[in-house]
Amino acid sequence: MHLKYESIVREPLVDGEKDYHQVTEDIISPIEMKPGRMWYVGFFFSVALLLFGVFSVAWAVYWGLGTWGVNKTIGWGWDITNFVWWVGIGHAGTLISAILLLFRQGWRTGVNRAAEAMTIFAVMCAGQFPIFHMGRVWDGFFVLPYPNSRGPLWPNFNSPLLWDVFAISTYFTVSLLFWYSGLVPDFATVRDRAKTKFRKMMYGLASFGWTGTAKNWQRQEALALVLAGLATPLVLSVHTIVSFDFATSVIPGWHTTIFPPYFVAGAIFSGFAMVNTLLVISRKILHLEDYITVGHLEAMNKVIVLTGSIVGVAYLTELFMAWYSGVLYEQAAFQWRILGPYWWSYWAMMTCNVVSPQLFWVKKLRRNIPFTFVMSIVVNIGMWFERFVIIVTSLYRDYIPGSWAYYSPQWPEVGFYLGTFGLFFTCYFLFSKYFPVIAVAEIKFILKTSGESYKKKMKHIEDMTEEEFVHVIETHHEDEEVPHHA
Amino acid sequence: MTERFEVPARLKTTSIALIAIGLIALVIGGITLLGGNEFDKTRFWVVLLQDAIFFTLITTVSVFVQAAASLAQGSWIVAYRRVPEAIGANVWLFGLIMLVVSFIIVFVFKIDGHNPIYEWVYPKGDKILEGKSAFLNPGMFAAFSIITIGLWSFFGLKFRAMSLAQEKAPKGSTKIYWNVVRLSGAFLLVYALSQMSTTPWFWIMSTQPHWYSTMFSWYTFASAFVSGMALILLWVVYLKNQGNLELVNKEHLHDLGKFMFAFSIFWTYLWFDQYMLIWYSNQPEETVYFKLRQQGPYSIIFYGAFIINFCMPILILMSRPSKRNYFTLTFMAMVIIFGHWLDFYQMLMPGPLGSNWHINFYEIGIFMGFVGLLIFAVSRTLSKASLVPHNNILLKEAVIHLS
Repeated sequence: MHLKYESIVREPLVDGEKDYHQVTEDIISPIEMKPGRMWYVGFFFSVALLLFGVFSVAWAVYWGLGTWGVNKTIGWGWDITNFVWWVGIGHAGTLISAILLLFRQGWRTGVNRAAEAMTIFAVMCAGQFPIFHMGRVWDGFFVLPYPNSRGPLWPNFNSPLLWDVFAISTYFTVSLLFWYSGLVPDFATVRDRAKTKFRKMMYGLASFGWTGTAKNWQRQEALALVLAGLATPLVLSVHTIVSFDFATSVIPGWHTTIFPPYFVAGAIFSGFAMVNTLLVISRKILHLEDYITVGHLEAMNKVIVLTGSIVGVAYLTELFMAWYSGVLYEQAAFQWRILGPYWWSYWAMMTCNVVSPQLFWVKKLRRNIPFTFVMSIVVNIGMWFERFVIIVTSLYRDYIPGSWAYYSPQWPEVGFYLGTFGLFFTCYFLFSKYFPVIAVAEIKFILKTSGESYKKKMKHIEDMTEEEFVHVIETHHEDEEVPHHA
Repeated sequence: MTERFEVPARLKTTSIALIAIGLIALVIGGITLLGGNEFDKTRFWVVLLQDAIFFTLITTVSVFVQAAASLAQGSWIVAYRRVPEAIGANVWLFGLIMLVVSFIIVFVFKIDGHNPIYEWVYPKGDKILEGKSAFLNPGMFAAFSIITIGLWSFFGLKFRAMSLAQEKAPKGSTKIYWNVVRLSGAFLLVYALSQMSTTPWFWIMSTQPHWYSTMFSWYTFASAFVSGMALILLWVVYLKNQGNLELVNKEHLHDLGKFMFAFSIFWTYLWFDQYMLIWYSNQPEETVYFKLRQQGPYSIIFYGAFIINFCMPILILMSRPSKRNYFTLTFMAMVIIFGHWLDFYQMLMPGPLGSNWHINFYEIGIFMGFVGLLIFAVSRTLSKASLVPHNNILLKEAVIHLS
């Protein structure tokens, strides 16, 4: 059977002397305690932001979208920018939970739970924007293709905007199921430790009567595999379809074939940055430094420099092709984008997304926590500008100079955006209080291979010659100590 | 352990026979085609160009895979790492052929004042081509090609040399290991600026110089990547059947099977994106590309490549047992390499040859020649060192690797 061994060149994924009980203790105990003062401050601040968002949206719904700054030329503004931005952020969770699972990346276990939660909250935020962008939001259900009393009137199946409805709702459902199925065993752990009746009942309900039998685990693992298999194409499809919203058009700056993979790369880029923003804070406040190590942050930063560079290649390709195409309008679109009145947004995007992440080639900076935190925010500023650049600077110089326009957001749009931050962080604060922010069961799964104290005990395996090692593997049985002198 | 690989006489004979077939095809092609009309002459050169590009790109994939695995600290590849090393150490050979063929086409090949393969060489009177001449000109083509192939070859040789040096390093020394990681980062940058962008524009896309697609290079990469993985798999299975690579088991093969499966779907994803967006927006300057391929004489290759490269892998490689079966994997690897060779064929030919394509003794013979050369060169490199990367830091992990 299988030998628990990992090379010394890999740094441990769990620091310190830990056994299974200690892992449970470290991760579950914050749920059982009263949250600290900072939690309350943050939580109420988030709720306040959320309420301001509700007010701003109510205002726009009551008075109409004329209260927004969008105009006839620039029909999409902050609303769609924010929609794409939030959806993109959501991608990291699925990437970590599904794709890194397929690639057998052990370090995902430290960050997947929080990342998946973040995905769900981000998609919730994203969904608000197209819904309220409809204007007459009470007719919003028209997007659903059901047999109706409107005669032969169906939604336009040829429109990528409708594909969005299906893609995002499916994605949300699968992400939620995936996240929840992983939570079930951990909820059962909280239930079993519960000291109060109420807590026991609530976590008992949430854990669906999980007993931890072999059959339970077998089914849970089968479900996880099925969902991972579904989620992997889904995560690609969502941002692909979002990119189709633009790329299927004939608008210069929008219609370009590289959009789908480049949007997906950009989404992962911003999502990983957001995970870093949250984890740098969470690990500190919840004292989880042993589980979310500097190594974890470094791995995330490596993905950031990779995806940032992919996005960079795409920007340059786009720019080059605009010139290479020989099409006047393509060339003009990019000229206006870079040198027009919105030049600052283009250069903000380039600096934050392509230039500054290159600093992560330096190992010292990848492992520097304050720098990681600052960069995680810089990246998300850059990715917000990317969407703003694509949307606004492709539209504002129309074919007819008479309809050239400029756009600035009005307060209800800004309020709407701030409100989604409120929603996002309200959810995240509740999550970090009531849910185990790290997958306890999954940490236990890797503990004896990648835990610091266990790795120290592997020294004699590391010292074996290759022949001895192969010999040990051939004769080794589970539960057996590896002999020190093979 | 049978760590050393001695090139079996049969393999050597086969490879030399294939090279001989290639040379015969070249000579007969030279006599009949070069003596023929404009179309024949174009066919003579463009077929050589297609194979030179295809084999250069798929061998470079081995360099890329090593770099990616080193950066990700992947131990899955270590048990058979000598295979991509040996393929990567021969990039220079195909690169050299590519340089010779493409330079002859760019600098020498000329019929009635124009170049039927790379039209932009003589853009006279064509406003669009004149607009692109800052990029599409022989000097730039030559410079980019030399730099690209030079760097790819260098990294291919360097990675192998470093891996061999690790064998002689003190036991457990990680100095070379981290140097390889650093160099891998550098290679990825080079690869991003060549294979993932400029190289396919110059070598392939410019055969229809009016047409453009931002996706094109990534699409070409996907096509090359999946064939490159299939090529590695074929060597691993062959060596395994020879009694070598004792540490490699079904877990390792399963990984390669997953790569072939997943990246066949990735290729299809990019294929669909490029096709669908051009179809949907329906602008003549873009649709011209598919007009020629999908409707008319190329349609059989166009649809054929799609069926071979998508329908077959997804149906056959989906299940777990098929990714652990030597026969299925070997069969699918050959199918995938052939399918993507066809894909490169349909990328390259419609521009220079118009609607008159042939896959005949010449095309097949030249392809076989390249295959022979690949077998000959790679097997020779493989035989020069142990097949087990001794003293590799991740070797023990590779032994107990689970797919």
